[in-house]
Amino acid sequence: MPGNLTSVEPVRKSVAVPAAPQRAFELFTAHIKEWWPLGTHSVGIEHAVGLAFGGGVGATIIETLTDGTTSVWGTITQWEPPHRVAFTWHPGTPEAEATRVAVTFTQDGPGSTVVHLVHSGWERRPDGASARESYDSGWEPVITRFAETAARVH
Amino acid sequence: METYEAVLEALGDRTRRQIVHRLRAGPASVGELAAALPVSRPAVSQHLTVLRRSGLVSYEELGTRNVYRLDPAGLSELRAWLDCFWEAALDRYAQRVREDSADSGTQPRHE
Repeated sequence: MPGNLTSVEPVRKSVAVPAAPQRAFELFTAHIKEWWPLGTHSVGIEHAVGLAFGGGVGATIIETLTDGTTSVWGTITQWEPPHRVAFTWHPGTPEAEATRVAVTFTQDGPGSTVVHLVHSGWERRPDGASARESYDSGWEPVITRFAETAARVH
Repeated sequence: METYEAVLEALGDRTRRQIVHRLRAGPASVGELAAALPVSRPAVSQHLTVLRRSGLVSYEELGTRNVYRLDPAGLSELRAWLDCFWEAALDRYAQRVREDSADSGTQPRHE
């Protein structure tokens, strides 16, 4: 039974959208504020007012709250418009505990793109002198990160 | 309370995470868990009740002992929640693209 629990497969989602990859990519990244369900999917929930997706490797995805404070959700690790963007993902949690999200944009006809999203990295150990370092199973950090991510971004 | 919320709440406590961690090594009784953790036996029982309600842990009676073990159902709930999270986000994204395409005169395409 524990064997079932140690394996946390990536979350995989895809959606077809009626736009060429270039526009689909722009809307996903630069225009994220126009569609991201900030009122439910954010650190600040009702206090979340802004969300910006940086352009280029090393840029961040950052939420702004009503009091002007910000929360970095992740850092872009791959930036290949209009085909692929990948970023670390740690809304509300320390960067050392980040999981990873990769999004690809594949043309499947004129003015049509399939967007694939893969959210992985659940198995990664927190690095550094984390309080959880004493847990050596590799499973406990996974479920903790899962819980923390889920608890703070809902 | 939704099941995933019960799971999150259950795992929000460090002692309960330690219990879950210990049970990963195999089933254990309350006494065995209490011996391995810096908390009292009644406290362990209380934590086990929360874990059981969340679906993370189940138990069976073996003679006079209650033996607790991990139950994959709890993690499945979390997993299902995360699936819904991205599904909701991508739905909104697809809707935004459709509006954009309609604005620019592109014929929307059915999925």
